[in-house]
Amino acid sequence: MELPLLLSTFTTVFLAELGDKTQLATVAISGNSNRPLAVFLGSASALVLASLLGAMTGGSIAAVIPSNLLQLFAALGFLVIGIRMFNPMFSFSPPDEETQS
Amino acid sequence: MEVGASNCESLNAICALTIKPMVEGSKEKTQAGPPLESKELGFVAVMTTTFTTVFLAEMGDKTQIATLLLSAQSGQTWLVFLGAALALIASSLVGVLVGRALANILPPDRLQKMAGTLMVALGLWLGLQATQSLIASSQTS
Repeated sequence: MELPLLLSTFTTVFLAELGDKTQLATVAISGNSNRPLAVFLGSASALVLASLLGAMTGGSIAAVIPSNLLQLFAALGFLVIGIRMFNPMFSFSPPDEETQS
Repeated sequence: MEVGASNCESLNAICALTIKPMVEGSKEKTQAGPPLESKELGFVAVMTTTFTTVFLAEMGDKTQIATLLLSAQSGQTWLVFLGAALALIASSLVGVLVGRALANILPPDRLQKMAGTLMVALGLWLGLQATQSLIASSQTS
């Protein structure tokens, strides 16, 4: 009675997240940074905190937090990181990284 | 007092013998490796950047809505949170592993261009969606 709910939540959320924008961002950032642990910790803790807020506040979260505005800021962050990757001056990793592997 | 002082001295001697070579050794190591320039972002910087971007992008996302619907429906908030948290940790682990695998296959400059294109495209798409719903909500209210 408890395990099915746990499993169905896990499956639903996991499948929904596959290929989602945040997972694609995680792929892009970790591919260009040689700190995979930092990327994993940052991404996992952000996702867990967001779902904690979702689970705890119930339906009231949409009224409290202007999610559209936050997503606009997130879009800005995506753009900044993306432009950083194009401009070697602000690159995440030195250009000679991975050449020996 | 005397015992304490002598202990301190012997400790200092041990420290001088063991730690100093270790420090020097690590210095040599960092100097011998490829020079890490200042453009290399530190651990905390990479983590904070990832955290902020992912957290902001996830607010109001379908996963968060699914989590709150499931928890409201079942009334078992913590079980739903546990399932969702495990799934999200697993999905970010998959993301990081795919990124590292791509970094091993593709040349870095090409991967950087692909990842940059992806991030800019995602940013434009996300920004367009957010702006559209902001305009829609301001019109209805």
